[in-house]
Amino acid sequence: MATRPFILKAPTPMPGWGLSFGILLTMLSIIVLIPMGVLLWRGFVGFGAAEIWAVVNRPRVWAALALSFRAALVAALFNLVFGVLLAWILVRYRFPGKRLIDAAVDLPFALPTAVAGIALTAIYAPNGVFGSVIGQAFGIRVAYTELGIWIALIFVGLPFVVRTVQPVIEEIDRETEEASATLGASRLRTLTHVVLPMLAPAALTGFALALARSVGEYGSVIFIAGNLPNVTEIAPLLIVIRLEEFDYDGAVAIAIAMLAISFTLLLAINLIQIWSRRRMGAV
Amino acid sequence: MNIEIEEICKDFGTTAALQPVSLSIPAGSLVALLGPSGSGKTTLLRILGGLEFPSAGRVLFDGADATGLTVQERRAGFVFQSYALFRHMSVFDNIAYGLRARPRKTRPAAAEIARRVTRLLDLIKLPDIGGRYPSQLSGGQRQRVALARALAIEPRMLLLDEPFGALDAKVRKELRQGLRDIHDTTGLTTIFVTHDQDEAMELADLIVVMSMGRIEQIGRPAEIRARPASDFVRQFLDL
Amino acid sequence: MAHCVPLAARPRRLRSATTEPRVVKGVLIALCLAVLSVLLFAPLIAVFDEALRRGWAFALASLGEPDAQAAIRLTLSVAALVVPLNAAFGIAAAWAITKFDWRGKAWVITLIDLPFSISPVVAGLLFVLMFGANSAFGAWLVASGFPIVFAVPGIVLATLFITFPFIARELIPVMLEQGRAEEEAALTLGASGSRVFLTVTLPNIRWALLYGVLLCNARAMGEFGAVAVVSGKIRGQTTTMPLMIEMFYNEYLSVAAFTMASVLALLAFVTLVLKSALEWRHADQLAATHRH
Repeated sequence: MATRPFILKAPTPMPGWGLSFGILLTMLSIIVLIPMGVLLWRGFVGFGAAEIWAVVNRPRVWAALALSFRAALVAALFNLVFGVLLAWILVRYRFPGKRLIDAAVDLPFALPTAVAGIALTAIYAPNGVFGSVIGQAFGIRVAYTELGIWIALIFVGLPFVVRTVQPVIEEIDRETEEASATLGASRLRTLTHVVLPMLAPAALTGFALALARSVGEYGSVIFIAGNLPNVTEIAPLLIVIRLEEFDYDGAVAIAIAMLAISFTLLLAINLIQIWSRRRMGAV
Repeated sequence: MNIEIEEICKDFGTTAALQPVSLSIPAGSLVALLGPSGSGKTTLLRILGGLEFPSAGRVLFDGADATGLTVQERRAGFVFQSYALFRHMSVFDNIAYGLRARPRKTRPAAAEIARRVTRLLDLIKLPDIGGRYPSQLSGGQRQRVALARALAIEPRMLLLDEPFGALDAKVRKELRQGLRDIHDTTGLTTIFVTHDQDEAMELADLIVVMSMGRIEQIGRPAEIRARPASDFVRQFLDL
Repeated sequence: MAHCVPLAARPRRLRSATTEPRVVKGVLIALCLAVLSVLLFAPLIAVFDEALRRGWAFALASLGEPDAQAAIRLTLSVAALVVPLNAAFGIAAAWAITKFDWRGKAWVITLIDLPFSISPVVAGLLFVLMFGANSAFGAWLVASGFPIVFAVPGIVLATLFITFPFIARELIPVMLEQGRAEEEAALTLGASGSRVFLTVTLPNIRWALLYGVLLCNARAMGEFGAVAVVSGKIRGQTTTMPLMIEMFYNEYLSVAAFTMASVLALLAFVTLVLKSALEWRHADQLAATHRH
């Protein structure tokens, strides 16, 4: 390695390297790299790590960060379970309207978050269709509580697990399930001991994607959340509030805290995945 | 255990995979179901294992009607063409799977399971691979692990679907002898599906030649070679 | 030719080793449909229901308001800028990544995906920091009469960031799978670089490209958080459709808010229909994860 000269690109007769790599690098720099660099520079050089900590380590900020991650975790966990179930049904079972359901799973990808936000609020508000029923039956308020935030985030993260797990279920070799049955395992045991472990890496990928999306979600949440400081105020909203107060340093500090926590989470999930893939052999 | 197949037939929609076939397999024999693809041999094997259900007919194990037994109740050691090893489990866990799946009352203790798995690993002459994963094994090793896994449940019979199909010629030869040895040690009634006439001739006590869902001939290798029952048998066996 | 004469019905307890009992299937299907109704279908119906509370005429009239009209125009123009730029980027990125071997490729792919894991609000913040009046550069921009933040260019930049991975992610797996052989064959036959791209590559990736464009467009028109931060929400000037929905909603103009939302919901509906059509018709030319 050390003796070989540094070559960026292996030689090839394929045309268009300069143009395509040029566009790739230019746009990546303008849209992603430089803005991210400015944020980090502004935070760590302009403001300082100690000051960032001082901003974050206040009850209101802490509560907002905790809420964003807690609610995202709850929603992603729900979607993990429900997504695997839905993917299973869509691949293995036959029922009328299956194609429609399959197509509808992507609705949260296609529907703007603000639309989802006001629509969910309309039905889960205390005077809404479901909100009033739930309120009378259980005495629980959905909208303007943390429960409402969960619902919005479940909506937003719904497609991720389904779409990552579906192709894996399609690829499962039926003989593996049959082998389990011939060895005496009940159907339930086959599902829990053979099928689910095979789905686990893909399900985890979907879970990570849903989590990443939910942690930073803003549009669908702010309408249904109620936005009460310390109670139902999510971290992205707090950034917006800081910006409206022209407190740029405060906004940057919260943003950096959010980035740090989500990257730690994603890193952890990636490591779990590498570990589980290695055990299963090349997947 | 002897196996009696009485007028078994199987439709897939409108196409008949098996015409009514009858067959009597004596206890402890090593039987080859031989035929080209689409001859119904795999369907017949899967019916015996409880993975398919006959449209009509009966299967008797030791004289008792087994047609209504579920796949779990049949206790047939089944070796799949793809081996169908559980990728996420070590070789040890693969072999122990069937024992651990038993209801608590009949499940052996962990130490006993470990002892049996070790014995099976010795039987397939791969004593040191218990900790490995299927992705780390060669094709021949996988086949033997699949065999050990099927044997672990103390099966009443051994059913193998093209057990040597995915292997290269050299390994194939070695493993044929391995299967013969295991059959002779365990004394299990063993049925394997193959499209390779040499394999059937060399290995089996009894060959069932099948074509288009029918049994063309049943006989010992020498009998079939001496007196093929039909043009199909003559052609397929290159006699 | 003898045919099967079924003796008796198969005993009930016998079923294929790879399915669940019928009852379990039924319960699971019902459970999924129930959750989807409450979570997906009910909100969708609610959008149209709320919009039509006071009839069609009233709803349609709200779309005729000058502010609403301006919002629709702005959203369309932003999408018309962002989608082609993103398509150009996606094609260039996919070409550089799949047709050449170079160092640091894996890192670049990760960086392209980065916007997926960043909050839209943080995305907006990035551009406020870069071009806002609080920075020297931003102040100079404002002074020289070309403001980016609280103006349309900022909205375009923020939307570009949010939709950045969409098209590249559709193209890269497809082009990886198709390999380089066809392009190499065309080169040996004497085709020029642009000819190879237009006559060999583009026909192979057109459906994947269209798929990416659809998703990119839906997100570009519907983006809320990032745009909210950079737009300044000046009525009639920097207010996109999603921002207009928020304004109407906060001003208790429920019908106007939900009517505008209905327009975007219809857009989502069309996107889903086209997307499903692509998945059913041209599955072999899409990334493997979209094949059903």
